[in-house]
Amino acid sequence: MRDRYLKYLFVLPALFVVAATAIWPLYQSFYLSFREWRLNRARESRPLWDYEYDGLENIAYLFDNYIYALEDDLLWNSIRVTSIFTVASVLVSVGLALGLALLLAPGGKFRLTVRTLLILPFAMSPALIGVSWRFMFQPDFGLFKAFFDVLIPPLADVDWLGDTTLAMVALVGSDVWHWTPYLTLVLIGGLATVPQDAREAAMIDGANSWRVFWDVTFPSILPVLAVCLVLKTIFSLKMFDQVYMLTNGGPGNSTQTLAHYIYFNGFKYYNMGYASAVSYLLVIPMFGLTWIYMKLVFLKK
Amino acid sequence: MASVTLKEVSKKWGDFTAVDNISLEVGDEEFMVLLGPSGCGKTTTMRMVAGLEEPSNGEIFIGEKRVNDELPKDRDVAMVFQNYGLYPHMTVYENIRYPLKVRKVAKQLQEEQVHIAAEKVQLRHLLQRRPRELSGGQRQRVALARAIVRTPTVFLMDEPLSNLDAKLRVNMRAELKHLQHELKITTIYVTHDQIEAMTLADRVAVMHEGVISQLDSPEKIYNDPANLFVAGFIGSPSMNLIPGSLQEGIFHHSEFSLKTARGDHEKCVMGIRPEDLAITSPGDGIFSGQVYSFELTGESTLITLQLGQERIIVRGTKDFRVGIDEKVGIVLNSENCFLFDAETQQRMKF
Amino acid sequence: MIFSQSTKKQILDLLQFLMILLAASVILVPIYWIVSGAFKKQVDIFQLKLLFTPTLENFQIIFQDPYDLQEKLLNSTLVAFFTVVIAIPLATMAAYSFSRFRLKGERFMFVTILATQFVPAVVIVLPFFILFRDLGILDTRLALVLVNLSLIMPFAIWMIKGFIDSIPLDTEEAALVDGSSRIQVIINVVVPMVLPGVITAGIFCFILSWNEFLFAVIITTNKAVTLPVGLSMFHAEEGVLWNLISAAGIIIMMPMFVLATLIQRHFVQGMTMGAVR
Repeated sequence: MRDRYLKYLFVLPALFVVAATAIWPLYQSFYLSFREWRLNRARESRPLWDYEYDGLENIAYLFDNYIYALEDDLLWNSIRVTSIFTVASVLVSVGLALGLALLLAPGGKFRLTVRTLLILPFAMSPALIGVSWRFMFQPDFGLFKAFFDVLIPPLADVDWLGDTTLAMVALVGSDVWHWTPYLTLVLIGGLATVPQDAREAAMIDGANSWRVFWDVTFPSILPVLAVCLVLKTIFSLKMFDQVYMLTNGGPGNSTQTLAHYIYFNGFKYYNMGYASAVSYLLVIPMFGLTWIYMKLVFLKK
Repeated sequence: MASVTLKEVSKKWGDFTAVDNISLEVGDEEFMVLLGPSGCGKTTTMRMVAGLEEPSNGEIFIGEKRVNDELPKDRDVAMVFQNYGLYPHMTVYENIRYPLKVRKVAKQLQEEQVHIAAEKVQLRHLLQRRPRELSGGQRQRVALARAIVRTPTVFLMDEPLSNLDAKLRVNMRAELKHLQHELKITTIYVTHDQIEAMTLADRVAVMHEGVISQLDSPEKIYNDPANLFVAGFIGSPSMNLIPGSLQEGIFHHSEFSLKTARGDHEKCVMGIRPEDLAITSPGDGIFSGQVYSFELTGESTLITLQLGQERIIVRGTKDFRVGIDEKVGIVLNSENCFLFDAETQQRMKF
Repeated sequence: MIFSQSTKKQILDLLQFLMILLAASVILVPIYWIVSGAFKKQVDIFQLKLLFTPTLENFQIIFQDPYDLQEKLLNSTLVAFFTVVIAIPLATMAAYSFSRFRLKGERFMFVTILATQFVPAVVIVLPFFILFRDLGILDTRLALVLVNLSLIMPFAIWMIKGFIDSIPLDTEEAALVDGSSRIQVIINVVVPMVLPGVITAGIFCFILSWNEFLFAVIITTNKAVTLPVGLSMFHAEEGVLWNLISAAGIIIMMPMFVLATLIQRHFVQGMTMGAVR
């Protein structure tokens, strides 16, 4: 068979699967966001705006879900929570990853051995990570209690997961633990591409270690760093498993991220239409970020 | 401007000895070339002078000062790397300026000195470009400018010409020589190219497997090699090395005998350079051989002859012609012959 | 105090060593916490004992009524396996095409495929939930495989494409010149060369599917529950049964640790999507 036809044939099955499993739901969600559907009451969805019934002048009804969303305090809370979480987790994890990468980049048996550990947090189910951290923060017999008992007694009686601020700290902590080692691996790869000659030239030219890093190493890894920032932001926005297992949005709503809020609306309150609308509010910044990411990566090609 | 002294310097990595107990003194303003094949330890030696590697043993002095514990940045050396080592995200101007910027030289002065350096290597018109926009030769000159911009105590050059094409290499050789003469800076230059060594050096240190095989001026290295390695390494095409034995002043080979120096020696090697041999009609020469191959280089001809088990090369004039498989005679002057002990590899002098 | 250069260096080296040690400990602690919890009796957990006599009874308990972890284990294995088995061949074909050919609109196709990765899972699962309910296949492994494909397929295509890109064209072109058809070239030349990459991608996707939680928690309730979702069944009246949850945790993480270590070297390629070469 000629290449000309073969190449499309090859791509077709995979494209079909992607279209069916990822693109169709996106479209369907969008459609649902303009309808009302309480899954626990109605068998089917009901349009928010019916031309015959409501008339053209009431077309605004179509956007009821969205309008409600904008006035929904809980939604704004989850936007706030998600923003705080994302900013904190991205900055901390990428920053730590950079430091760790610099520490682990040089060779040697010790460093190489530690590098093999970096895979593990990534291979661990995020749900399990949530469980593990919840266990560690258990106020009566968790690890942190034991830790603080010995080191910082005044902190020992604090119930981290019961405090609105500390629970967020714990959540960010678990996410940083999850991703930093992986980002470290990526950055170690990036550091390997820094021209060794230029570094040595700088050392001879008179630069001390800090200047060598700042003037030579850092500019070279800027592209990789940028990619890490964008990727981690996207992953932070998507994060769900740990919220569910660690805090379930609590205490109160202080750790209820947008993803969790959508889940709640769709599968606890069964308000599918509304959940879809809120989903799309999350989708928009995601597409924006994806676009930035594509620009960064494809710019090189 | 100062001397560089190495005292019994060694570098070992685990079991492997890269540099074995080297002692060397480079005089003030001298152009010293470290010559040798890859793996001989020349680059490692230079990197130890730079401070990029720490010696396992021994001491290194720049001028009167012992620099073993000094960081590269405090040794006041400048280095030109084989792959140039330019800062990829900086312009040519910023590249050249970097050593001054890092030493906090006044801005006015920075600009002046960068322009002077750029002028010396004819790069003034390229100052705003980035390294990736430049050709190999241009990048090389940026590296050079960066090295001379602060007039350091010592210049170190690590095979700076090896990534250039042949023609450019010849041009740059002349430029380097001129530059060094003008700036009068003590220079250590590492290369595997013996022509570079011969043309640029005040003295050459021929290195082999971590030790200095011979340390002498280019003329002496060429005309008075101390051992088999130097004899075979220097010269293009290489010196002919013919194994045989010496009995009562006569060198014996399966194909011929030659009266040379006095003495006896079971196993020895006779060396003679291609340009010290000439071809004549068979029977007229001291010995004869069969033409194996024949090459025209433009300025001369190279004739490879089969002599029993060995092949030797004779250099003829550019008009000389001969056919392959022809039998020819060879003449030589026994004063141009070198004799080496086959076991110790040393030159035998009588 | 004035330190000599070499003393300064020694102090710096020591500091670095300590920091690396600290990082390694931080990585290992949450893992260790679960591991130790799995071998403790519940009593020991409540008393926060550091030294304890290990017991295997937790593992016995979770594999029996009412927990029946073995069912969850089976579900996880089957779902991950079938997802990978479907995704990898399709992805390899598509990846080969993207890598070796120019297609009309390939940029658009490729970008769209990748873009789906950045959409939150929750957006995708809503319509699927409704669809599965209508089809009556909620709480089935089939349903899970279908949704998992949305996660795995783009990853697989992109990872395998990366591997194919890194294989030089020469051998394929030589085979084509020698007279093979494109399909023969793929079967005889490309597949053997790209096999390590495909296996790496397969294992990577297996891990992703195995660890997947959101889809599973929404789609399954009973019969098709997978291991991560199973973690939430260890709540009892007296609180969370940490010893049992930890034992389950070991079942979830240990196989993945083994797999991850196997494909370590190629892991980085997996997620940076070409940004790091």
